[in-house]
Amino acid sequence: MPLDHRRLRGPEESQPPALWAAAAAEDEEDEKGAGAAARDPCALRPLFARAGLLSQAQGSAYVELGSGTKVLCAAWGPREAAEPGPGRLICEFRRAPFAGRGARGRPGAAAEREAEREAAAALREALEPAVRLGRYPRARLAVSALLLQDGGSALAAAVSAAALALADAGVEMYDLAVGCALCRPPAPAASWMLQPAEPEERRAAARLTLALLPALNQVSAVLGGGRGGPPEDWAQALRLGLDGCHRQYPVLRQSLLRAAQRRRSTPPS
Amino acid sequence: MAPPARYCVPGERLCSTEEATAGSGTYTRHGFIFSSLAGCLERKNEDNELPVVSVVRDSESQLLPNVGAVVTCKVCSINSRFAKVHILYVGSTPLKSTFRGTIRKEDIRATEKDKISLGDAQSNYLLSTAENELGVVVARSEAGVQMVPISWCEMQCPRTHTKEFRKVARVQPQFLQT
Repeated sequence: MPLDHRRLRGPEESQPPALWAAAAAEDEEDEKGAGAAARDPCALRPLFARAGLLSQAQGSAYVELGSGTKVLCAAWGPREAAEPGPGRLICEFRRAPFAGRGARGRPGAAAEREAEREAAAALREALEPAVRLGRYPRARLAVSALLLQDGGSALAAAVSAAALALADAGVEMYDLAVGCALCRPPAPAASWMLQPAEPEERRAAARLTLALLPALNQVSAVLGGGRGGPPEDWAQALRLGLDGCHRQYPVLRQSLLRAAQRRRSTPPS
Repeated sequence: MAPPARYCVPGERLCSTEEATAGSGTYTRHGFIFSSLAGCLERKNEDNELPVVSVVRDSESQLLPNVGAVVTCKVCSINSRFAKVHILYVGSTPLKSTFRGTIRKEDIRATEKDKISLGDAQSNYLLSTAENELGVVVARSEAGVQMVPISWCEMQCPRTHTKEFRKVARVQPQFLQT
């Protein structure tokens, strides 16, 4: 048969993709069985934070958790707003299209946008007590968070990244806001776990996200819900979450100090 | 060699209010001074009073025009009742994003400084030129040439010799740059 140059010819041999898909499915089975028992509920995942990496925004921060959650956040300093009164903080939260594992229901669906709007409102609630809005009358501060990969505890990572970005932008703040997420698996007597990974979060019976201002020791937001058990369990979960926030604070503080030093040594063009 | 700079983050406790007074970039709470910016700590020693502790972020300082500040602005539209301006400089530092302001006709006076408020009801800054040092600094005549001030109230175009009324400012010598 003469060669048809107008068509792209596929390879001569082909194998079914199921051969490779089976390996991934086996991994998940293993996790379900062994994951619940092997994980220490109070263990914090490794946290990486870096501030001052974007040049096009006044302040920026990138936070990555060990479970694979990656959040990039940018902040802009005061711009004139038309409304009178104290300054306003405008938050935006976006999930990248490639952020979740598996297929999206329908790209651009209303449910996704609703979830993003809720997350943005939660971000605003967590950050507003930390920013000195009284120093910026009639101005508008903008914060935009982009979730690059969702590996669990996305909102908590976004809160930390947004606080770092605002501080990096030179906005006057009372304190950094640190976020921590918890979840409780559906087993009857299970205990709360810090910083769940994505499969654990999906299967959880109750989820909680905390935002704390560590130096002032004030909680700025508590978000979540579910079937968690008696109220004492929730109180214990809160304490666990606050402890997790306090343990994460030194890493965030160090990244901000390094960014300030870098900014000082290389003056902006 | 300058001593190594000490950097601080927002919310870091610097010292107590008995040892120093709070400067810019800090706030006080429960008798302690906390930092409010992520930047360099600065301590200025005054002779009679307590030293002033402030946190400086030397690259940009986002200023907002305060009440009583001298600003440099550019007129963008003129009405019979007021003029709309873009506020460009506060003092001698340029603003990164321009703010809008309004100069009402009755505020262009020679004397009697008004009480200008940031305005709860209005959405613009109100400005006044009620001092000798305030007023028009640069103006162009209808011919497009920069005019020369000849009195407190008049400026003349050097080419067409027409006089136009402006409230001229007597700029202080320290602000003039040649």
